[in-house]
Amino acid sequence: MSTLSRRSFLRHSALAGGGLLVAFTLPGCSTPPSLPVPRESGDFVPNAFLKFTADGAVHFYCPRDEMGQGVTTGLTTIVAEGLDMAPQRITVELAGAHPDYANPGMGFQVTGGSTSVKEHFTQLMTVGCQLRALFLAAAAQDLGVAESALTTDDGMIVHGENRYPYAQFLATAATLTVPETVDLKAAADYRWIGTAFPRLDGEVKATGKAVYGIDIDVPGMEHAVVVRPPVFGAKVVRFDDRAAKSVAGVRTVVEIATGVAVVAEHFWQAKKGAEALTVEWSASPLDGATTASLRADYAEALAAGGEEAESTGDVATALAGATKTVDLEFWAPFLAHAPMEPMSAVVHVKGDSAELWAGTQGPGPAGALVARHAGLEPAQVMVHQTYLGGGFGRRGTLTHVVEATQISKATGTPIKLLWTREDDLRGGLYRPASLMRIRAGLDDDGRIAAWDAARAGSNITPETIRNSLPALLPGMPDGVVDFMVGLTDRLHQGWVVDHSSIEGLYEDYAVPNLAVHHVTKEHGIPVTFWRSVGHSYTAFAKEVTMDALAEAAGQDPVAFRLAHLEHNPRLAAVVAKAQEAWNGWTPAPGRHLGFAAHHSFATSVAQVAEVSVEDGAIRVHRVFCAVDCGLAINPDIVRAQMEGAIMYGLTAALHGKLDFEGGAVKQSNFHDYPILRINEAPKVEVVIMESQEAPTGVGEPGLPPIAPAVANALYRATGKRLTELPLSDALRLA
Amino acid sequence: MLRFTLNGQTVETDLAPDTPLLWAVRDQFKLKGSKFGCGAGLCGACTMHVDGMAQKTCVLPLAAVAGKAVTTIEGLDPQGVGAALQAAWVAESVSQCGYCQSGQIMAAAALLEANPNPTEAELETAMAGNICRCGCYPRIKNAIQSAAATLAGGALFKDAMAEEVSA
Ligand code: FES
Ligand code: FES
Repeated sequence: MSTLSRRSFLRHSALAGGGLLVAFTLPGCSTPPSLPVPRESGDFVPNAFLKFTADGAVHFYCPRDEMGQGVTTGLTTIVAEGLDMAPQRITVELAGAHPDYANPGMGFQVTGGSTSVKEHFTQLMTVGCQLRALFLAAAAQDLGVAESALTTDDGMIVHGENRYPYAQFLATAATLTVPETVDLKAAADYRWIGTAFPRLDGEVKATGKAVYGIDIDVPGMEHAVVVRPPVFGAKVVRFDDRAAKSVAGVRTVVEIATGVAVVAEHFWQAKKGAEALTVEWSASPLDGATTASLRADYAEALAAGGEEAESTGDVATALAGATKTVDLEFWAPFLAHAPMEPMSAVVHVKGDSAELWAGTQGPGPAGALVARHAGLEPAQVMVHQTYLGGGFGRRGTLTHVVEATQISKATGTPIKLLWTREDDLRGGLYRPASLMRIRAGLDDDGRIAAWDAARAGSNITPETIRNSLPALLPGMPDGVVDFMVGLTDRLHQGWVVDHSSIEGLYEDYAVPNLAVHHVTKEHGIPVTFWRSVGHSYTAFAKEVTMDALAEAAGQDPVAFRLAHLEHNPRLAAVVAKAQEAWNGWTPAPGRHLGFAAHHSFATSVAQVAEVSVEDGAIRVHRVFCAVDCGLAINPDIVRAQMEGAIMYGLTAALHGKLDFEGGAVKQSNFHDYPILRINEAPKVEVVIMESQEAPTGVGEPGLPPIAPAVANALYRATGKRLTELPLSDALRLA
Repeated sequence: MLRFTLNGQTVETDLAPDTPLLWAVRDQFKLKGSKFGCGAGLCGACTMHVDGMAQKTCVLPLAAVAGKAVTTIEGLDPQGVGAALQAAWVAESVSQCGYCQSGQIMAAAALLEANPNPTEAELETAMAGNICRCGCYPRIKNAIQSAAATLAGGALFKDAMAEEVSA
């Protein structure tokens, strides 16, 4: 049992109404804004996370955003375990914006990086345990018995034969002080953690009742569609809105920073108006760019060499002295996230306040952006968080929230802005394209002697700064933001390496002589986090290289990996687990197996894919996946995240690419940006390693191994070492 | 003035007849369960039943539904096929973000109404028009098969699936 002092992150103060407030300390902020928790008299709101009402209801204000990863179920389970109350008895609410809902690992109210369970586990377990202790103390007082005579069971205080609901002691609990220290529940006593049970949001999502940003409807609301430049970097020169304004239902046309907005009574009218609009755009440095020209720039950059990111031993000498070498170049294209719900937000800018309704990966920053562009203070903005129709990194960037704010400021009406799918695929932001090269050599014993890796492409950090600074530092003037963005950009051109550009390219296996280089090449194409970030392309290069090396060494690819994992026990264990599947698996005739493993977001994953090529088409039949994510809060959600990441990764591996033509993105909708469909979906078997270690991320780590596992299977199927994504194109051209 | 039945009620609209049914249902009739994913008939997020057939309503003009019976997820029968599917969806924890799931369930309901015991290939064909970006496909299959089994009052072919998966 571990004991935590709540002093490290909790303080309490009296609250008007006889209640009690436990607020999380905010460094440098003496008057925290009031909690966005609606309450009525008799409600007990001990902190930002929980509300107990007299009728026995318990509401949990979930600090992280639900984009499908199951975080509402996961975090509710943790707090429920501490409270000793079934998670199903708790009503989950999506929290509004408040500093208390910050991601403990980031300090901001942002969801991403597969961090939610990892960062909130101790915090929410503590909150739950403290409240349970408080109810025990209140019950002891009310019942006039010693606390030691009481225990709890699923939301009840138990005294001998008698059981009393927690709710019975709300009034007394509200007069008590939350215990200074609390014993955290021992893992052996967990009733719900580690147990698979259906997601708590299953019913609202099976009945169409879950509310997403696109579903918000407020009185007087108008709909907007924005016409943006075909080429990134172009600006509006002039526009002719006469035809647009003659479309029935169109109310007005306004120019905003990113383009021209058509505002109408209904969405369809706004869209027709947007189609009728004629806009003249300025020239852009990107004019005329093609995928081939961008890639040629990367190739030139890679050849010129770049910044050293890592170096151990003497890679040049080791390569020169190697018995066998492998030298491969890898290409990964730009990709859109294409969440099923395109970007949408409703914003109402009023005189001295504003409201935002949207599902974002950062309700705090979103509110701050509305404030900035409405000319208000963040405290004047009310943020209503909704479910997210998919995130994958895309909903951390809030351009659409800014656009809706600018439009609403101009019209004075509540504005629902909806991006079309064409806007989504052509309007950015993307997973950056990457050209990578790995040269590796074996020593006489068939062990890796040298690993020389390099990557050329753009970095996500400058764009992240561009998008997040205005939100995180509301007082910072635009000019300073621009300066910071430019500075970061320049720093990455010859000074420092953006780690997210090379993460995963070299870390997993023991290599005595290592060199990693990075060359930045920016073209002004907006890029951002995309499910598993740098790992989404580096794992492909690293794991295909490992298979090529194993072949050169004349070794089984799985045994070859294991031989280089002695220092890395968690990854070694999942590889060994997948090895059992690999060894015992006789693929059906015409099918072949491929293997890959990767560690990302503190989680280790190994996968085996069974693949065939039928009439030139790649078919992935079955995937085995072993994962070590520490303690699995809900094993079924871990499984679902592995399945989902494999499907998302397969879309990228088999089909995913955005091409540039004449400076513009060519793809526009799901006919030319195909998403994996049910008839292409493999069967997936997931094994979760038994673990009592602290929980780690599961949203992203299932993705990186799938592309190389399929590529490695295709090598066995066709004899072709495919090093370009998507694999369907690579196979056709090979 | 154009008239049709929406979840059993007669409704009227004076929206332009080329307005897709999806937008009339969402913006005028305020039923938000049917979603917009592509606007081009490519993803199935907007699937409703028109005279019992699953239709992609983002490309179905209002003019085409005059006098017809339109059913959305909100009007899916609370007994029978709809209820069995929804129960299976919850039990199997099919949904991740959930955004595609109204469309998936409407497509699945039309399938099971027409074919109570689909083969895996028939299931895939019927559901191939519905994209799930979260990749819930294995569970969608399981849920449809388990709903079919429930409706048939026992286990159907799920056994065959289980056998394949455990190999
Ligand atoms: S929104 Fe209708 S098929 Fe995609
Ligand atoms: S559950 Fe997210 S798109 Fe299907």
